[in-house]
Amino acid sequence: MITKQLIEQIEGEATVHFTMNGNTVDFATVAFPHFRGMERILQGKNALDALVITPRVCGICGHAHLMASVRALESAYVHMSQDIQLSTKAQMIREFTLLMEIVQNHYKWIYLTLIPELGKLMPLSNMSTPLKGAFAASLASKALASFSGQWPHSSYMLPGGVTCDPTHMERIKAQSYLRELIAFFENETLGIDLETFLSFESCKEIRSLSSDISRIEQSLLSLGMHEKGFAYDRFVVFGNHGFSVPSKMKQTRSYSVKSKYVSIKDSYSPQEKTFAKNALYKNDYYETGPLARAMTNSVPIIRNIHRRFKDSAYSRVVARIFEIASLLQHALELLKLMELSETSLTMPEPIHTLTAEGIGIVEAPRGVLIHKVSIEEGLIRNYEIITPTQWNIGSDTKESLTPVQLAMQGVTQEEALFIFRTFDVCSVCTTH
Amino acid sequence: MPLKSDKKLTLLWLQGLTCNGNSHSFLNLSYLADVLLACDILYHPSLPSLQTLETISTCKLECDVLIFEGTFDPLMQRNNVMVGKLLRHYAQKARHIIAVGSCASFGGMFKASAPQRNSGLVFNETAHEGPLLQYQEKVINLSGCPIHPEWLGYTLSMILQEKKILVDSLHRPIELYSYLAHHGCTRNEYFEWKVDSKKFGEKEGCLYYEQGCRAPMTHASCNKILWNDVSSKTRSGTPCFGCTEPDFPRANFFRTKTNMSIPDEVPVGISKRSYLTVAGIAKTFHIKRLEEKLIDYKTAD
Ligand code: SF4
Repeated sequence: MITKQLIEQIEGEATVHFTMNGNTVDFATVAFPHFRGMERILQGKNALDALVITPRVCGICGHAHLMASVRALESAYVHMSQDIQLSTKAQMIREFTLLMEIVQNHYKWIYLTLIPELGKLMPLSNMSTPLKGAFAASLASKALASFSGQWPHSSYMLPGGVTCDPTHMERIKAQSYLRELIAFFENETLGIDLETFLSFESCKEIRSLSSDISRIEQSLLSLGMHEKGFAYDRFVVFGNHGFSVPSKMKQTRSYSVKSKYVSIKDSYSPQEKTFAKNALYKNDYYETGPLARAMTNSVPIIRNIHRRFKDSAYSRVVARIFEIASLLQHALELLKLMELSETSLTMPEPIHTLTAEGIGIVEAPRGVLIHKVSIEEGLIRNYEIITPTQWNIGSDTKESLTPVQLAMQGVTQEEALFIFRTFDVCSVCTTH
Repeated sequence: MPLKSDKKLTLLWLQGLTCNGNSHSFLNLSYLADVLLACDILYHPSLPSLQTLETISTCKLECDVLIFEGTFDPLMQRNNVMVGKLLRHYAQKARHIIAVGSCASFGGMFKASAPQRNSGLVFNETAHEGPLLQYQEKVINLSGCPIHPEWLGYTLSMILQEKKILVDSLHRPIELYSYLAHHGCTRNEYFEWKVDSKKFGEKEGCLYYEQGCRAPMTHASCNKILWNDVSSKTRSGTPCFGCTEPDFPRANFFRTKTNMSIPDEVPVGISKRSYLTVAGIAKTFHIKRLEEKLIDYKTAD
């Protein structure tokens, strides 16, 4: 018998159809029912308009879309042999705002998704309110908006740089929001200072704390999530940033990656119409996102956890929370080093002179995000978007399961629904 | 504390075709906790809710305030129930209906997903042809892509405090939308003296003449109250795209449409002739201070 489960309170809506084998999941398919046709909306538009339209793909990671868009346009310029000069300042500001968006995303995920979902599986005492997530996210957005003007839906990156030209005043303000956010993270989530937390090398050290994170870790263990939710133990990271290294990994061996090997395939969803498409690398499925980034970055504590618990639901959750810590520290560093006397933007040739193809790749909160554009005399002929959820939460046949389908196999339906959410689902991105 | 706490308001937040940007923007409200305390949330896409979408979609409950985010697509379903049916059921008993964002107000960004049929709740751009036309008296439009959190904070607080919300002809609260996005921009002096920004990425100059800024034609309080309490698009060098108006999204966002190098559209309520007269005079003056860099980092040390 096939049972249908509506997944609510993710970004958008999804359904999972389970085929059970007694008490455990034998096979599950995923459907994303809503479609907006972003790629078609972009066709024929002035290529610069993509910088206003694509952030509206997603209310929680629009900044990552903005950056993928601007990188796609810049790569088109480069393909036409036109130099794009990005000052170090512009690069640092872009990276800082991208980091802040990832941090707000993860924070909301902990307090608005993870904790309530854990609460459905076991009684949770002492666990704090969703307002914590919203408050921390709003601090991250203030630091972000100090440069981007606003969040959500900013369009402050243009080919050649950024539109803002901040003084040290804005930089110092951003620093103070960031420090406030770090203090909040230390007091409310970690129960220890950031630096000590970052020096942790094993999950035992997390267990020694008494805070939200140790309670989350304990709950995951008592639910056996370290022995469940395994995908292929294959990871892919594409975005080139100060906090990520493009590479693919099979277990613990890493290899280089080329975007030309990325392909797209229709979803298999016999019970219900879906608008999602699956993303593959050399015809194989890979997991992307915080766990993939930590593995390819050789983050000691995550490598250790992986040694024991592989790519379990446990590892996936801890990697996402740990990523907040490392990104906060990286963000502090960026603000310290930022040199403001450099130029913000060097304008390239006018957009109507551009006839070329471009590709922009970034690490979004949930993993690899790819934008591909083909431009003719400054107008968009074709635009293609491949989002992280298409990598992690595809839906295929039983013979070639996607990471999430594999991770849900062999556990109870309740557990499967929890595991589903450890990938941090974004339905609006998936069916853009 | 801005709110009365004696009576809880039941609140239902439904979605059409959307990016969730309004939901996320609202989470940034500085007095979110106070608002939530005064409300019973039947359903919200990310906040803890008393009901599930499954119970909501049975259409057996009612709410005081119905909030709708996203473009209305008559063919869209939520949990296999037509969104139009959900809307009409909850709108009937609701005391107030709030359209959050330009999509729900006028059609907005995702009208383009199916232009022949999609619209806002009451308006299709400016035409009265949305699905809740019969309840238009109760509909408040909070346009913007996305909404500023304070706009919804204001509206809910006014309802909680039982104060009358005055609206304009497009059903937008006049206390929020009588201002222009241009009011309070740090570049106002450059606007007055017609000094344009030579290029993007500069502190100096106004973005109205070449870079596409629509703030003088756009009703919004962005530069009065600021975004995320810290900044605004124009303060950080990005033109205003006019996202609170019924014609959003337009095209060519980063370029001003001009006629003999004069912007095609002039500020709201000002005749082209008056504008041209003043502009012509202002342009004859060369003001050194406004033509120079605001800060010269090279010689300052
Ligand atoms: S940049 Fe826009 S908002 Fe600022 S002064 Fe010029 S027209 Fe007004």
